[in-house]
Amino acid sequence: MKYAYYPGCSVKSTMKEYEESAKAISKVLELELVEIPDWNCCGSIDAIYSFKPLYAVALAARNLALAEKMQMDVTTLCSACYYALARTNKILKEAPGIKSKVDDALRNAGLTYNGGVRVRHFAEVLLSDTGLEKIKEKLKVPLTSLKVASYYGCFMVRPPNICNFDNAEHPKRLDELVETLGAAKVDYYGKTRCCGGSLDITDEEIMLKMSRAIFLSAKSAGANCMTTACTMCHLNLDAFQKNVESRFDIGIDLPVFHFTQLIGLAFGIEPKQLGLNRNCVSPKKVLSSTVAQP
Amino acid sequence: MSHEKDKLSAEAKNIPQGERKESRKAFIKEVMKMPGGEKILECIQCGSCAGGCPTRFAMDYSPMQIIKMINLGMREEVLLSSTIWVCSTCYTCTTRCPREVNFTMLMMSLKNEAIRKNLVKDGVNAKFHKYFFEVINKYGRMYEPELFFKLLDKTDVYSLRHSASLGLRMLRKGKMPIKAPKIEQTPWVSKMLEKTDEKGV
Repeated sequence: MKYAYYPGCSVKSTMKEYEESAKAISKVLELELVEIPDWNCCGSIDAIYSFKPLYAVALAARNLALAEKMQMDVTTLCSACYYALARTNKILKEAPGIKSKVDDALRNAGLTYNGGVRVRHFAEVLLSDTGLEKIKEKLKVPLTSLKVASYYGCFMVRPPNICNFDNAEHPKRLDELVETLGAAKVDYYGKTRCCGGSLDITDEEIMLKMSRAIFLSAKSAGANCMTTACTMCHLNLDAFQKNVESRFDIGIDLPVFHFTQLIGLAFGIEPKQLGLNRNCVSPKKVLSSTVAQP
Repeated sequence: MSHEKDKLSAEAKNIPQGERKESRKAFIKEVMKMPGGEKILECIQCGSCAGGCPTRFAMDYSPMQIIKMINLGMREEVLLSSTIWVCSTCYTCTTRCPREVNFTMLMMSLKNEAIRKNLVKDGVNAKFHKYFFEVINKYGRMYEPELFFKLLDKTDVYSLRHSASLGLRMLRKGKMPIKAPKIEQTPWVSKMLEKTDEKGV
């Protein structure tokens, strides 16, 4: 299967390992990710939209216009990009006033967009198109030492009329994936609770409190690691984990995997190829009895 | 911020009652035209939004209160509230609202309104949106170091030390870009802006 691949800014800078691992498992599963040529920022959910809404929609529409030429579904790794791109179709369809202005703007950039591109999260592509059966076939190293708290965050499941990867209140598809990979799933309160990703820069204190609530509920439910499917969530839970620990003087020490890294490990792919050395919280301890060291 | 509020309420007191009523009605009408505000009159004050909100603890007014305040025409109080800036746009309220009020989208629209009316308290909030936009318009993609440097408060030692340690952590992992990104069509992306700006947003 071939997909128009929208990387998004984070995947090329602060979340390189997410792309590395996604590409490694795509190879095994015979998925072809064709990068949209000359893609730009998705327009962001709120950062640009609150400042210049029309420009934000035009930014997203430019990516979709570029993808429309490729005649494939668009897939992206970042939940935030996923929502920003997916909502654009709805906005353009429901607000003809905005559509005509965005069309004008696109024409200025030498492009047109007819609204025909389907936007999908990479997790949905893997679980719906490829399917758990095929993933099971490729399984080499069951991840038996892991007790995984799957973190869905916001934009995989909300708002449900656009982001419909799973049930908005009780999602379970990532948990099913985790079990397929031989690990134990952990049910916990915080799985769809917002981690505060959009407040990283503007209000760190609030963000740290939000992330703490998620860590504590995952830990008290018995998790020894977490998995995410979003660049912003991963940044918060992994790179900022040390900040939560020092701010509230608590020990957390929960390694956070991208869901693609877990699949890669179970496929027996070298940890380095999955970028595990780039994770801020070291996963060595929880993996020691399962796989070779990163 | 309190100074701005005092000034605004003093101004409000000088307006004759009839006019005040008109201005209240005008605010509701304005909000109903904003993305997210369409169904604001349908709210039944059930509190699902406030109950599920993960940042309620840091807000001065809860989402439910903000809706009531809009329906009472309390323009200044709404636009100067911390609520609109503390919202993390997680869509929990919108998902749970039984009357289909898109409160999350409304928060973004009200931020936009507050920025345009220059009703923003001091601090990093409005700057963040402005600088984020500037970086994207310059490069076409995000360039994190430039955004951080623009936002860095050089007088605040704690935040300097803190940002430096996070930056180093990312750099050590090879996850902090050194070179700025550039897309081929960057000038065209800016041209898109001219076109959208022209038409009044």
